[in-house]
Amino acid sequence: MLKQKNNPFIYNTKARMKLCGLLCLLAPLCIAGKLFYMQTFQHDEFTSKAERAIYNYLDEDRLRGKIYDVKGRFLAESVRTHSCGISKRYVKNKNETISFLAKVLHISKKDIERKWQRNKNFFFVAKKIKPDTYMDLLPAMKTSVGQGLDLTPEYERVHPYGSSAIDILGAANSKNLGLSGIEQMFNSELSQEISKRRAKRARRGELIYDRSLKEERSVGNVYLTIDILAQYYAEKALEKAVKDYEPEHGLIVVQEPKTGRLLAAASYPRKDGQSLPFQFTYEPGSTFKTIAISSALDAGAVSINDPIDMSGRKWEIARGVVVRDNQHDKEELTIPEIMAVSSNIGAGKIALELGAKNLFYYIKAFGFGTKTDINFNGESKGYVPPYNKWTVVDTATKGYGYGISLTPVQLIGAYSAIANGGWLMQPHLVDRIEYADGRVDHKAEVQRIRRVLKPETVETMKKVLEHVVKEGSGKKAQIKGYSVAGKTGTAEKLSKEGGYAKRHHVVSFCGFTPVEDPRFTILVVLDNPAKYTFGGTAAAPVFKEVAEGLLAMDGVAPDRPEELQPVQK
Amino acid sequence: MKLFGLVFALSVFAFGVAMMHIEINRSGREIGRLQNEVEIKRARNQYLELEAIRLESPQTIEQLAQEKLHLRRTQPQQVIILED
Repeated sequence: MLKQKNNPFIYNTKARMKLCGLLCLLAPLCIAGKLFYMQTFQHDEFTSKAERAIYNYLDEDRLRGKIYDVKGRFLAESVRTHSCGISKRYVKNKNETISFLAKVLHISKKDIERKWQRNKNFFFVAKKIKPDTYMDLLPAMKTSVGQGLDLTPEYERVHPYGSSAIDILGAANSKNLGLSGIEQMFNSELSQEISKRRAKRARRGELIYDRSLKEERSVGNVYLTIDILAQYYAEKALEKAVKDYEPEHGLIVVQEPKTGRLLAAASYPRKDGQSLPFQFTYEPGSTFKTIAISSALDAGAVSINDPIDMSGRKWEIARGVVVRDNQHDKEELTIPEIMAVSSNIGAGKIALELGAKNLFYYIKAFGFGTKTDINFNGESKGYVPPYNKWTVVDTATKGYGYGISLTPVQLIGAYSAIANGGWLMQPHLVDRIEYADGRVDHKAEVQRIRRVLKPETVETMKKVLEHVVKEGSGKKAQIKGYSVAGKTGTAEKLSKEGGYAKRHHVVSFCGFTPVEDPRFTILVVLDNPAKYTFGGTAAAPVFKEVAEGLLAMDGVAPDRPEELQPVQK
Repeated sequence: MKLFGLVFALSVFAFGVAMMHIEINRSGREIGRLQNEVEIKRARNQYLELEAIRLESPQTIEQLAQEKLHLRRTQPQQVIILED
């Protein structure tokens, strides 16, 4: 009894209520404490968890500019497409969904089922779905058939001219990232930074846009110097040559000699981003005689009518190294004759007259052994060994294009220098980059790099090269009504066993037309044709075909109208 | 009574906020749908434009001219330049 009286909780109602109240408050206090801890100390962690649960951050598909040709015809453009994926666990009726997809996407049910078996949960059924098909798929997304289907936006890089110029343009992936060629070279100018958008994904996978997280910026459109019509003529002529002669590689380059702009650059095989005019290196053979002989004329080492000794049409440069000319029976030849019959003895002797140091100087001045500023992906600079390592044999062989490797774009630049009056021009592949806000970047200005030949040398060389086409090895490049200047080349290729392989050749022709006011310099190269042939037989007719197309394209009036038949009325 | 009024006002406010969120979601969904529709129509248009370009390309024209009209490519000598 006494104990009960002394205990304050037994009869004290207030104290009991306080105790109950405290006990009741304990749980909410703990919760409040925990909430306080979470809100203050774990705030960031929970915010990001909540964001991840509610929102999807969409990489708002990187936008990509267009690529145009010199006349504003667009060559590459990104078009929005979709990919269709399946999340197996959300699919309600497998057979129904597969049948629907097979019907709309024109894929066999078996293929979809095979993918279904192979993948654990998510897999893509189709990619690059065109807008019309997407519109057919869309209504189903709101029904049970569409449950578990995921339509993700992506881009397709479309080329309206098909594979034409694809070797220059290169490729871009479905995320609009440049992978090769111009697409890669100008990726930062062409593509827009990712503009992330926050969106909620609703029950059926619909996107509810919330807000943009980054400002969009304008993308650039790249204008090339390539004319798609000139490119077409080059590609078509190359295709025909490949069919006729079955070479391993083939290429055609067209340049405007006065501006350095490249109008066409065709390659065989045609692969995206693999442009042979920039990447292919070879020993040029006789097309290089033009460089050696013009250098010798320019330096005054020889004169145009100097007779060069051809006695026996056999020349022993050094002990055991003999050069033969089988294509003529003359004991003496002048420079026009040497070029017309493509005499190795003549070109070798002239190179020796000029001397190693001078020849090296001219070769470098013409731009050989140096990359052009185009800087195309994988562009080679070729190889010109230093002159102090040349022997007499090396100097002589360089005269007719051996012991040196170059790229087609370097050689066409050198011929353009002869065509335009002696100036080595900066070659251009990109004309300009235009942004939506009107800004213009990378403007291709006509730029003379240096004078390589005196005007009088150029005039002499033009006559010499015209003579090659009129009377010499380049007859098949003649175009009725137009003057053509050029040089053929048939070079033996290096053999794996050492020395030169007699049956493996690079045949070529490089020239320009019309001679007095040249509009086009064209280089044709066929590497290792399966059928034994020569530059004058295989490459010169290709030059003619391309040149005819170009002259008609630009409406160039004939400069030799006397050669034409009178027009019948 | 005061407490009741306060609770009522709070409830109305909460209801308003909830309605606003529902409306935002609805509008967001509508915007998403419309944006998607615009993009699809734009893409469709682009494809049609590209098809038109393809049909105007030299390859197509030359092929059609040769196959259907038995024409040949113009030679440069055939081009007559008119002078003023």
